[in-house]
Amino acid sequence: MAKLVLSSGGSVVFQCFIDQERLGVGRDPTNQIVIDDPSVSREHAAIMAVGNDHILEDLASANGTFVNGTRMPRRILQHGDVVEFGAFNLRYLNAKTATDVELDRTMLIEGIAEAQAGLPADGEALPVPRTRATRINFPNGRVHMVSGPRAGTTIALDRVVAAFGKPGHRSAVLVRRPHGYFLAHVEGRRAPRVNGQPAGKEARRVNDGDVIEVADEKFQFAVD
Amino acid sequence: MLGIMARKFIEAAAATDLGNIRQYNEDSIAVDPELGVVAVADGMGGHRAGEVASAMAAQIVLAGLRQRLADLRSGADQHSPLLAVEESINQANLAIWGAARVDAGRIGMGTTLALALFHDNRIVIGHIGDSRVYRLRGGKLQLMTRDDSLLRDQVDAGIISVAEAGESHNRNLVTQALGVAEQVAAHVRQVDAMPGDIVLLCSDGLNDMVEDADIELILQELRANLPLAAQLLVQTAKDNGGYDNITAIVARVRKPFPAARGWQRRLLGWQH
Repeated sequence: MAKLVLSSGGSVVFQCFIDQERLGVGRDPTNQIVIDDPSVSREHAAIMAVGNDHILEDLASANGTFVNGTRMPRRILQHGDVVEFGAFNLRYLNAKTATDVELDRTMLIEGIAEAQAGLPADGEALPVPRTRATRINFPNGRVHMVSGPRAGTTIALDRVVAAFGKPGHRSAVLVRRPHGYFLAHVEGRRAPRVNGQPAGKEARRVNDGDVIEVADEKFQFAVD
Repeated sequence: MLGIMARKFIEAAAATDLGNIRQYNEDSIAVDPELGVVAVADGMGGHRAGEVASAMAAQIVLAGLRQRLADLRSGADQHSPLLAVEESINQANLAIWGAARVDAGRIGMGTTLALALFHDNRIVIGHIGDSRVYRLRGGKLQLMTRDDSLLRDQVDAGIISVAEAGESHNRNLVTQALGVAEQVAAHVRQVDAMPGDIVLLCSDGLNDMVEDADIELILQELRANLPLAAQLLVQTAKDNGGYDNITAIVARVRKPFPAARGWQRRLLGWQH
């Protein structure tokens, strides 16, 4: 269960678990979290529980709501977030979401009826959560094109795959993985060549300085 | 004989993997390129019940469509392909729901389902839960399904923005699944199909780990080698963390596939 800890001058003045759908924060005593500070509005902000999330919303307060030093009208609270209210800090703690690995199993929950009314059959894809993928380091590689239509250019290998050769006839890709780059044969009867030798059908790792030939393209691989 | 006509109008490949963390693979697939059916199901429920639910969904939907399409394509039944998909999904739902009721260990088991039926130059898409169907056309990837998820609802209701969805912890909350109620409202629609189109069906273990831009790039650059495309999609999800089971089915339309009309059917029947 998520927890809120209110502190001032380094000492805790109030703490509570979030067990309600909505918590009000402000100077007014009707709020669930009352903050006695002249710079805090009477109804300053609210924290709403939606599924696993707690969403903080500024209620058009006079001085705004700051999360980790940045003014935000709204914030899906993340473990360790500090919300500033005048001289007070409200810290959000949620052990369940503390790790960047979300292992929660799929569960069924009631949907939001008005969102489903007049529902489009498709939509914009939702972004991959920011906490994922960013921790994994991918190598920085590039190829210098020696011959073929792109001769003389350098191509950065900064995406998951880069294609070479003649699409539709004979082609191969360089695949970027956390532990290096791999050459994979895509189409055509003749496999690509690495340092003059056929690369074979299986994906194979390429090393700094390797010279690769795919159809009429010849290039040298380099990695930091 | 219609099988011969229909043969190889699509080419399909699939890859599935446990991922890096889970102990079991609760995803199931059905792939029948000659029939023109591909489906992925992502099970849920403890004590490995998720595996049971997703396997039942894949098998029952495929068997149901085999029967209904045979009737449809022989002219014995004037059902629309949309109805064939809807009925097959409902059949799977009832079977899973019934199985969950008779076995205490399976209470609460359910599964997502994403299905594509290629029929008469169209693709019928059936879907429930948060497994997805995408289409790549002209190098552009388009999502063809709307997730039955709290996160999607939150975005559509304006509670949070698309950008904020990346910060949410509600990714695992689905609003509908097969097998958890006696009746479900599966989403069934049809879209046109063109030679060269690539359809991707996946469990959320793929699209939660791999950006759409990377999915698009892999499908576009590897469209000539679908088995490698499916394998690379799954491998990329694992390289990015692989927190869930990962399944990808890719199907490419090779040529137009109009359904045999009455006179063709009679002619072909006479020839044989």
